[in-house]
Amino acid sequence: MREIRLDLLLLSLALLFAPAFSDLLLSKVDRRIDLTSHVVRITSTLKVENAGTDPVSEVLLAFPDTQAKNIAYLTASTIEGKGKTKSSSVSLPIQVVHPDGMPPSLTWHSVSLLKGLSKGESLTLDVLAVFTHTLRPFPEKITQAEIQRVAFQESAYYLSPYVVKVQSLTVKHSGQFESYTKLENSRASGSEIKYGPYENLPSFSFSPIVIHLVNNQPFAVAQELVREIEISHWGNVQVTEHYNLIHGGAHITGEFSRLDYQARPHVRGASAFRNLVAKLPPRAHSIYYRDEIGNISTSNLWGDSTKKLLEIEPRYPMFGGWRTSFTIGYGLPLQDFLFQSRGIRFLNITFGCPINEVVIENLIVKVVLPEGSRDISVSVPFAVKQWEETKISHLDMVGRPVVVLEKTNVVPEHNQHFQVNYKFNNLSLLREPLMLISGFFLLFVACVIYVHSDLTISKSSTAYLAKLQWDEVQATVQQVLNIINRCLTIHGKLEASLRDLSRTGDVQACKSARKSADSSLKELSKELRPVLILLQSSSQAVQILPKVEELVAKERELQEKLMLKHSTVVDCYEKKSGGREVENRVASIQQKITALRQEVDDLLEIIDEI
Amino acid sequence: MTSEHFASFLVFIFIHVVAFAYYIKGLLSPKMFKVAVTLVASVGMVLCCAVVAVLIAMVASSPTKGWSGRSLSLLDPTYASKYIPIIASVSEHQPPTWPSYFMDINVLAFLVPAGITACFLPLSDASSFVILYIVTSVYFSGVMVRLMLVLAPAACILSGIALSEAFDVFTGSIKFQLPGISRNSQIDVRDTSSAGVVTQDDGVKTDKNEESLKERPSKKNKKKERENAEKALIKPLLEKRLLVLPLEASVISLLLLVLLGAFYVVHCVWAAAEAYSAPSIVLTSHTNNGLHVFDDFREAYAWLSHNTEVDDKVASWWDYGYQTTAMANRTVIVDNNTWNNTHIATVGTAMSSPEKAAWEIFHSLDVKYVLVVFGGLVGYPSDDINKFLWMVRIGGGVFPHIKEPDYLRDGQYRIDSQATPTMLNCLMYKLCYYRFVETDGQGFDRVRKTEIGKKHFKLTHFEEVFTTHHWMVRLYKLKPPKNRIRGKTKKSKTVCVINKASSTTSSKGSGKRNPWQ
Repeated sequence: MREIRLDLLLLSLALLFAPAFSDLLLSKVDRRIDLTSHVVRITSTLKVENAGTDPVSEVLLAFPDTQAKNIAYLTASTIEGKGKTKSSSVSLPIQVVHPDGMPPSLTWHSVSLLKGLSKGESLTLDVLAVFTHTLRPFPEKITQAEIQRVAFQESAYYLSPYVVKVQSLTVKHSGQFESYTKLENSRASGSEIKYGPYENLPSFSFSPIVIHLVNNQPFAVAQELVREIEISHWGNVQVTEHYNLIHGGAHITGEFSRLDYQARPHVRGASAFRNLVAKLPPRAHSIYYRDEIGNISTSNLWGDSTKKLLEIEPRYPMFGGWRTSFTIGYGLPLQDFLFQSRGIRFLNITFGCPINEVVIENLIVKVVLPEGSRDISVSVPFAVKQWEETKISHLDMVGRPVVVLEKTNVVPEHNQHFQVNYKFNNLSLLREPLMLISGFFLLFVACVIYVHSDLTISKSSTAYLAKLQWDEVQATVQQVLNIINRCLTIHGKLEASLRDLSRTGDVQACKSARKSADSSLKELSKELRPVLILLQSSSQAVQILPKVEELVAKERELQEKLMLKHSTVVDCYEKKSGGREVENRVASIQQKITALRQEVDDLLEIIDEI
Repeated sequence: MTSEHFASFLVFIFIHVVAFAYYIKGLLSPKMFKVAVTLVASVGMVLCCAVVAVLIAMVASSPTKGWSGRSLSLLDPTYASKYIPIIASVSEHQPPTWPSYFMDINVLAFLVPAGITACFLPLSDASSFVILYIVTSVYFSGVMVRLMLVLAPAACILSGIALSEAFDVFTGSIKFQLPGISRNSQIDVRDTSSAGVVTQDDGVKTDKNEESLKERPSKKNKKKERENAEKALIKPLLEKRLLVLPLEASVISLLLLVLLGAFYVVHCVWAAAEAYSAPSIVLTSHTNNGLHVFDDFREAYAWLSHNTEVDDKVASWWDYGYQTTAMANRTVIVDNNTWNNTHIATVGTAMSSPEKAAWEIFHSLDVKYVLVVFGGLVGYPSDDINKFLWMVRIGGGVFPHIKEPDYLRDGQYRIDSQATPTMLNCLMYKLCYYRFVETDGQGFDRVRKTEIGKKHFKLTHFEEVFTTHHWMVRLYKLKPPKNRIRGKTKKSKTVCVINKASSTTSSKGSGKRNPWQ
């Protein structure tokens, strides 16, 4: 602190000997400094008058170097028109200049006027300068219970290369202050400290003042924020924001007691902030809030048709010097942000972060365009570093073009829209689905080809021939089995006819059933003969042949027994013999039939297994 | 490698030897093979004997015969609690309780005996294997809760067998007794005709065994059936004797079984969702206002990872070791790898020592932060105070000056006013209950359901740096060594702070000089 004061003193000494710069003079300067948050906003209203003879087309603004390095945002605007029509304000271009013969340790910004200011004319200029890191916590370390105090330095007089006729300075703060530098005409009232009016001060007048005030606003500083805006022409703009946040105020020292914090959070944790509010576009959806170890459950979302507010709470209350990092993501409907005119598409989206009053030390905005975009150009309303890279994502062939914009010292005033123009053919949309479809198609085609092709190297090798024969044998055995099964079905029919007989006593029907069964069985045995011969001729069937033959034999036997049983039962019915007699006569046959059937079943199973 | 691996290795080697022998047998002629066998057998026996002798010597040289503590405690369930407290301290190494069986395998617990009986009915190779499997796994699961995992597949197999048998019987008896439905298919017709005969002797028997209440109506049923069958005049004999139950009984039992299965599915889904896959790191409770989330662990780990130096070391009980490493990205002193018992014992000793001794231990380990888990405010039962006795036991196992009886009053573990002074002065007690009394004025611990014994005390060698929202995780920092020596100056400083706090905040800070005045 003391060092800086010395600097300022030297500066003011140097300034005293500097010459007046030009014929311009400032007839009235009104400055208002807003110290209510951790971003310092200085609004100056300058009434510029040309006292010389030559028309002047630029106005110079001077800032001490110590301040200039913290300037985040600077605009100058003038009010067009006179009298009643003065409503539209026009912002003027500003650039950094290095005029000769000027005192050292000053940074110059030149405001170019739209039209030169000729003799005797005057103009009102509104200059808004936004500074970060200008409020310095003092003391730099506080305990949990202390309130946070900050110091702010400025000059009571407007630092200008021009003569200032009348000027005043108003400092607005949150209401509590420790001290302020007392000069003549300075007074404090309520939440304001006023200096001036001072009259007829020469150019480069400088009088350092220091204001020591209480500021418990959240000093949320994002050391790095990476915003990734990914466009999908299927209808979504996905925004992912990676925050690396620190409480930039006075560092906490000593113990942190949860007890004290919970009992009286506004006294024993006054300097801490526990939540931040992000203002998202009204149609944001699929919002998430997480960090590297998973979802953070302390968040809240509400909104209406004009906005959506996401209240996020870091995992722990943020005290001075504490850090955290998290990720916010949300999807936006494409048609709200992507527009098309004359074959050129342009994305129109905000540049800064949606959380209010966060200073971003290093903001990187990445706009990921869909694969196949070309002729990319970016228009940003302020100077940014810009380059392009590619990102390989799902199903990408060459990667998606990414426009990267980097800017340091970003304040909420930078939350303006910027545009990315590019050309994109709608047919490219179909590239990925087509790729998938063709991929699967090729896979299936390959499968089909593999199944149908014969990859055997030597067609005459024994293994190959054996395999062919074995396939043949299997087919034949299958045929045999089919025939046997059909025989078994016919056996079933015979049994059924017997049951019908027992129920209805219709002997004729039973006989006809038997006849038909007989004939079909004969046909089947005819069918069986060539198949069996084929099987006997095959050398591969040696193993399976005996089983098959046994099966056929057993089946035939079974057939005979069944016929016997059938004829016996029918006979008995014809002779009208009693139930018991029938039973006695059939019993022995039935036993054999059951045994045979069991054997046939077993054989069938065995053959199946082979 | 420990002795318990021998069995599997030997089986592995044996299988390979057999396979190799068969291969050789295929290559050589029988005569040559005999020669080779004698040659290899004689040489192999000598080699084997040598290897076995070496192995036996090695095994015999170790006090536990080469068995690891975990497997020894399998064979002798009391082994771990006697000799290796660190194994016994793990909750999943405890013997399970009956409710835990019911919770984990639910209805399977009742189906398994039926499955075993079903396995015995035709005792084949496969079913005897299953029986052996279930018997051993039941024994193992009885020793340790975690071996419920071994029991689960065996129980599933056996209950499957039981259910399938039951379904077989019930559906079979329904099929036999519904001839109207199955008349068309002639195989069934044959069976139905035979069913009448069998039901006479068998059905009644099974009825007596299983459902005596249903006996009467079923008997009537049977009689009708018998008459039908006699009319049919076909009484084929069946070799297989079928078990047939009355129709109503089997339908109802079938329905009940399906219902049982359905409830089991519901239970399984519930258990998988609530008990098995609910993360133990994020706790939830259902209150009137909805779900309340206790995310304290991640809060503390996130704080550690963002607000401490990268090379700071964190001491905590070993349960939180891997979590701290993974989520907070900080080096820990002990973690869930419990091979190194001494290290864990060191931390256990520090936790059960008085503040100064603990500080010295931690300082020698280059520890910056100490993490304790405290559930007393919200009633989270698996906190460090409940685990503390194990810290004492494990610490005492290596450092004999820590004695378990010092922490117990008449054999009881308590933290109220009856607790022993050693308990009330140990580091764990102090770190957990530091300023706890100021929350409600009495210091009522919701886990132990009692007021704490020592309520007002100050920490001299540690300072609280972070406590999570529900006080579940408390982090303390070791004070730098110079603070120990500077006893007097410290006192004067605190006085100064008190003075400052008493002067109102609106006036200018009295203690410090403002350079701009």
